[in-house]
Amino acid sequence: MSSKWWIPRRTAQLTILALIASPLLGMTFFRGNLAAADLFGLPLADPLAFLQALIGGMVIVLPYLGSALLVAAFYFILGGRTFCGWICPVGLITELGEKLRRRMGSGEVTMPLTASRWSLGLVLLTVAMTGIPLFEVLSPIGIINRAIAFVSLMPLLVLAAILLVEITVSRRVWCRSLCPLGGFYSILGRFSPVRVGFIENRCTHCDDCLRVCPVEEVLTPSLKLGARQVTAGDCSRCFACVDSCHAKALSIDLFYK
Amino acid sequence: MGLTRRDFIKASAAAAAFAAVGVPVVRPKGAQAAEEGITWGKAPCRYCGVGCCVLVGVKGGRIVATKGDPAGPVNKGLNCIKGYFLSKALYGKDRLTTPLIRKGNKMVEASWDEALDLIASKYKEAIASHGPDSVAMYGSGQWTIHEGYTASKLMKGGIGTNNLEPNARLCMASAVVAFMNTFGSDEPMGCYDDLDLGDTYILWGANMAEAHPVLFSRLIDNKLKHPGVKLIDIATRRTRTTKMADEYIAMRPQGDLAAINAIIHVILRDRLYDEAFIKQHVNFKRGKENAPYGLKDKEVFNETPADIKNLTFDEYKVMMKQFTPQWGEKISGIPAKKIEELARIYSDKSRKINSLWTMGVNQHSRGVWVNNLIYNLHLLTGKICKPGENPLSLTGQPSACGTAREVGTFSHRLPADMVVMNEAHRKKAAGIWGIDPNKISSKVGLHTMEMFRAIDRSELKCIWIQCTNPFQSLPNVSRLRKAAEARKAFIVVSDIYPTKSTEVADVILPSASWVEKEGVFGNTERRTQQWFKMIEPPGQAREDTWQMIEFAKRMGLGHLFPYSEKGFYKEMWEEYRKFTIGVGKDLAPYEAYAKVRGLRWPVKPDGKETRWRYTEADDANVKKGEGIKFYKAPDNKANVWFRPYEPPAESPDKEYPFWFSTGRVLEHWHTGTMTGRVPELRRAVSGATIEMHPEDAKRMGIKNRDKVRVTSRRGTIVLPAEINGRGTPEKGNVFTTFFDETKLVNELCIDAFDPLSKEPDFKKCAVKVKKA
Amino acid sequence: MDSETTCSGITRRQFLKGSAITPLTLILAGTGVATVYLRHADAQGFTLRPPGAIAEKRFLAACVRCGKCAQACPYLSIKMAGGEAGVGIGTPVIVPREIPCYLCSDLPCVKVCPSGALDKKLEDIEKIRMGTAVIIDRESCLSIRGLRCEVCYRQCPLIDKAIVIEPRHNTRTGEHTIMEPVVRKEKCVGCGICEKSCVLPKPVIVVQKTVETQKDSYEF
Repeated sequence: MSSKWWIPRRTAQLTILALIASPLLGMTFFRGNLAAADLFGLPLADPLAFLQALIGGMVIVLPYLGSALLVAAFYFILGGRTFCGWICPVGLITELGEKLRRRMGSGEVTMPLTASRWSLGLVLLTVAMTGIPLFEVLSPIGIINRAIAFVSLMPLLVLAAILLVEITVSRRVWCRSLCPLGGFYSILGRFSPVRVGFIENRCTHCDDCLRVCPVEEVLTPSLKLGARQVTAGDCSRCFACVDSCHAKALSIDLFYK
Repeated sequence: MGLTRRDFIKASAAAAAFAAVGVPVVRPKGAQAAEEGITWGKAPCRYCGVGCCVLVGVKGGRIVATKGDPAGPVNKGLNCIKGYFLSKALYGKDRLTTPLIRKGNKMVEASWDEALDLIASKYKEAIASHGPDSVAMYGSGQWTIHEGYTASKLMKGGIGTNNLEPNARLCMASAVVAFMNTFGSDEPMGCYDDLDLGDTYILWGANMAEAHPVLFSRLIDNKLKHPGVKLIDIATRRTRTTKMADEYIAMRPQGDLAAINAIIHVILRDRLYDEAFIKQHVNFKRGKENAPYGLKDKEVFNETPADIKNLTFDEYKVMMKQFTPQWGEKISGIPAKKIEELARIYSDKSRKINSLWTMGVNQHSRGVWVNNLIYNLHLLTGKICKPGENPLSLTGQPSACGTAREVGTFSHRLPADMVVMNEAHRKKAAGIWGIDPNKISSKVGLHTMEMFRAIDRSELKCIWIQCTNPFQSLPNVSRLRKAAEARKAFIVVSDIYPTKSTEVADVILPSASWVEKEGVFGNTERRTQQWFKMIEPPGQAREDTWQMIEFAKRMGLGHLFPYSEKGFYKEMWEEYRKFTIGVGKDLAPYEAYAKVRGLRWPVKPDGKETRWRYTEADDANVKKGEGIKFYKAPDNKANVWFRPYEPPAESPDKEYPFWFSTGRVLEHWHTGTMTGRVPELRRAVSGATIEMHPEDAKRMGIKNRDKVRVTSRRGTIVLPAEINGRGTPEKGNVFTTFFDETKLVNELCIDAFDPLSKEPDFKKCAVKVKKA
Repeated sequence: MDSETTCSGITRRQFLKGSAITPLTLILAGTGVATVYLRHADAQGFTLRPPGAIAEKRFLAACVRCGKCAQACPYLSIKMAGGEAGVGIGTPVIVPREIPCYLCSDLPCVKVCPSGALDKKLEDIEKIRMGTAVIIDRESCLSIRGLRCEVCYRQCPLIDKAIVIEPRHNTRTGEHTIMEPVVRKEKCVGCGICEKSCVLPKPVIVVQKTVETQKDSYEF
């Protein structure tokens, strides 16, 4: 273990949960959830939720556009699916589920990463055609948010179903291949300057990185072809690979190479 | 629907069981199939002074339904929303079912014997070392006549103290004193029929729409039937009554004294009075002025015959010259033009005028005076004692008239208009009670405010409170609560639920309520209504008469109550009835009441009721040809009193810039101990609010439902604001309700009272209001 | 929901490669559940939304389910719908019989709505149109039966505007007034306080969807 990126990452994930719970405890600096929120007076908005509201509701609220752009810019800079790796409470839970699955050794089936982009297309198409914001309706993220903020527990069954399938059938299938929000960020974060860098001559090909990476496909171009950076938008910037690399072949780059 | 022998025979088997114990059975129309096995009995409603008749449906020892009694002359089958849920008031989860005795800070269960022995020993101890005036009883206008009579006989005839008061002191005392000093007999000459027969109704400080719901619906029907009928609402607050009135006249608090005097000024100035009526029926008098407000403990104020000056009509006219309409406008805020107009209306020969009033006039530091002034209007214009043309003081409790006033459970009264100060009266009472006349003290007992202040002064050692909740309802109640909490007196409370008063009690006794016992109530229009016991009280709860008589036995006074177990109610009634016979207050034999939905006294020798008193048209005490005769007054003449304006005890100033007033809402009754147990009524109105004028609220940045802190010199309380709701006080006034036991709003009220009636003024004190 | 089967069509290649049967099943199941949801939501007909909510169909899309309106509501009137609301899951609802809207004059819920689902142009509480109160059971209404109830009227925050009393002679007793509460549709904001306060076990006055008054040329 050369670095410990998992500590700040886990802290960020837990902070998000604490923020969402904070209004229940009578604190006032945070309101809302990951779809839209106020943090110390700064309005934040999920750009995908914004798109759905815009398409389906035919309303445009300029401050809302502003806060969606702000968040989009944030993830554009951090790149990839940073949201999935650092922020999303579903990510946190399925990550823990993954630990359990490994112990059980079940559900090795994987689905391709591209499916999440199709899933995004489906969501946008649905809202355009029917006015139903499909992702906001089915989103396990929203379900967790409301489970925490409003103690609305029944819909957590959806999350339980996802966990069950992920553990017994297909490894992290929701986050990897089905979540439209993941698909959205994988497109948005494709061109970020913040990337995992690879120094080929240090690599011992121990494959430790592949074992910890939730989306191991993104490492293939580097490991197989010697690409100097992980460029795929599906990278969740969890830096588990960096943590796992004994040879220090993997690092964090802040510039395009 | 009358109760006949046939009814008994026709009654079902279940009903027969009832009949066996003496409960008459009535069967509402069309109520057979759906309500199999329910036995119906008649009773007056437990709540307000209107006296609606209800049918009580009993099945399996439980009330399963109540409904308005179609045979009831007052309500013809209707009820207000409180009455609709009447039976639920008995079935709250926290009914008191066993006697409780204080052990330190805890109330522990006890047997009746333990509790009553303890009470008797405490009373004996106090009497032995401090005399009989160191003990007291505080009762209620919700007491049945039997309960009030038992209390009166026990305290006045047995223990020998006049320290007996009803809570009616807080609501009707001013009306009582004015009835007595004007007509020589308590209670109105008119009745509810006047609401159907008149054409002009002037409301002085009354919100009939909420406080007398079914009666108001009757009054409005007169308006609907006869488009010429006029309803004028004179008040300090716009209410639901205002909404249905033809005209609203805004008045400043205490402005009634000035406004009525100015109206009389115009009547006299323009010779609008009825000279012949005045000559024949009216005396003019001037009483004692510059009266105090009762704010000091033990302050004594009496208007003795030596203080009263007889006036001639001309002298009176001269004295009234000062009260010009302009002067009236300056003080009351009612425009001089309006005052002139009201004088014209009051003296309009083509109109049948009725004045109606309630707590705005009675709960007034010069309440007797305002009552007097209203009578002056009617006496000077001769608009009195005629069908459809009368002044009518509306009462608030189901038996404020029947029990508190007729039985005379006040500290100066004896049954049937008699007083303890009068030797002949004491002799008559002693005669009927079979006791030594010297046993009845000639010393007027402590009136309500003094009674509770005497606890604080440690002068009163024992008090027994029944059927009322003074530690929520009294003004400046925090002083009194502190005294009670300091255990300055031994306090017994008989009630059906835990209340703010049982909280401070040393002994709590569980009482039977309403149809859990037999009883008689008397309503506003002199209607005496009887009911039978229909269900058993819960647990060990016992009725108040039983509690008092058991106590009396322990005090060695059991001989005062020699009634048989079976004939208890009838025997006591017939004894009480002796007071009323031949003095213009005649009541009927007990059985008569079992058959009818009440009778209005004086009941004539032929058993018929009297609708209008003092007139040959209806009153058997006035001979044919006598026309109108105020036969209870010394020279058969009523008194017109000269009563000037005097300011209220406390007025708004820079520090406390608002007038504060407390009152009622339709959904809840008094301190809410019964209606508060009805979930539906709590759903409808859950708590007290503070009503403000929208402009006052806007100026202070207060929005509807904002929390507002209201502070007087005596206390402070936080309430949600209610703006543009059911009531809107005039600018500079705020109003709240006193039913909410979580908000002791009356602790803000000043404990000033009318020096003549000793009735506190809940309607006027100064507060400051701040957004909380 | 047909489009979701299209989605499974997209993944056919992977399916043919094998081992994708479960995800496909998952999607099918999801579609099924969602369809049931949708039907259910339709069947409910009317949901009372917070003040300023735009037309229901657009509201369902415009609302991002962030819950800020519910967090802003000082009376906890606004609740977040659960699965029973179908496509409306996570949207704000008001159940008047539990806690109605108390019409805060500063409209905190509207103020915090980020997405325009609650229209910020709304500033005057009297212009709110969440729905319209309707007396649905005249036979049971105590006031119409002649009793002095009128609780809904006295509790109405727009007393004498949105609910008025129309008195009429009670022919049954011959001497009383029936004080009938009448909803003035053009003034009713649909806050539901009347529905909350109705004393009967099933409220006889309830808030329903506001129906636009039909206009025609007939005048008299």
